[in-house]
Amino acid sequence: MSLSAYLIVSALLFTIGAVGVLVRRNPLVMFMSIELMLNAVNLSFMAFSRFLDSVDGWIFVFLVLTVAAAEVVVGLAIIVAIFRTRREIDVDELSSLKG
Amino acid sequence: MVVGNPVAFILLAIVAVASALGVVIFRNAVYSMLSLIVNLLMLALFFLMLNAMFVATIQVLIYAGAVMVLFLFVVTMLSPDAGSAGPRDRLRWQWGAGAGLAIILAGSLIVAAVNGSIAQDARTIGADALASQVTAHGNTEAFGLALFHGFSFPFELTALLLVISVLGAVVLGRRFAGRE
Repeated sequence: MSLSAYLIVSALLFTIGAVGVLVRRNPLVMFMSIELMLNAVNLSFMAFSRFLDSVDGWIFVFLVLTVAAAEVVVGLAIIVAIFRTRREIDVDELSSLKG
Repeated sequence: MVVGNPVAFILLAIVAVASALGVVIFRNAVYSMLSLIVNLLMLALFFLMLNAMFVATIQVLIYAGAVMVLFLFVVTMLSPDAGSAGPRDRLRWQWGAGAGLAIILAGSLIVAAVNGSIAQDARTIGADALASQVTAHGNTEAFGLALFHGFSFPFELTALLLVISVLGAVVLGRRFAGRE
């Protein structure tokens, strides 16, 4: 398949992830949608790397993977901390900044 | 140029998009999670199709393995019915607004992907050099050469980032545990 086909799949996945962040109110599902977007970008990196004939895209994917892992660790720690103090994790309810 | 079997590509694309929709649509967060794992595995298969065995392997090991186990742990810890939406659906219009924005975003991204200058360039370049490099050195060795020759500084920064995130997780966990 051509590069455009890969990029179209990547664009669809990215869009679905963006919609997930916009419409879901469970922060865990929002996190999963962010992972979807990161993976869509990974797919286009890999496709570009293959079609532009370079290994650099692989390195970018590796770095994105690392950043995603770090983000998941800190984000889940924050979600667990919020759940421990508030006993709920609906983002609509978390509208106050006061501890 | 054509990379990958078209039938396999279309099957993978359908499963990937369907599982991505599942992440957003499923009410139960555990189902979303399992759907996300399917999506990550499909992406690993895409990577295999793009001749990147090593990256496909670390995708399965790290993403679909380690990160998703962490996710599943937290999802099951925070009451499995937390994902099911109750009657409090205050913003009913946001699904419609989200769908409208999705159409705009997907349309512009697809137009850019099809008509972009990089896509035009890539049509004319063959991928023989990467393939020959991979066959000469092996997949992992090509990756390692690129990582440690051109990108060693970002790689070291990665280590710093991981240390910071581990410390952040420990601090967040400890402070709230001490307060209870």
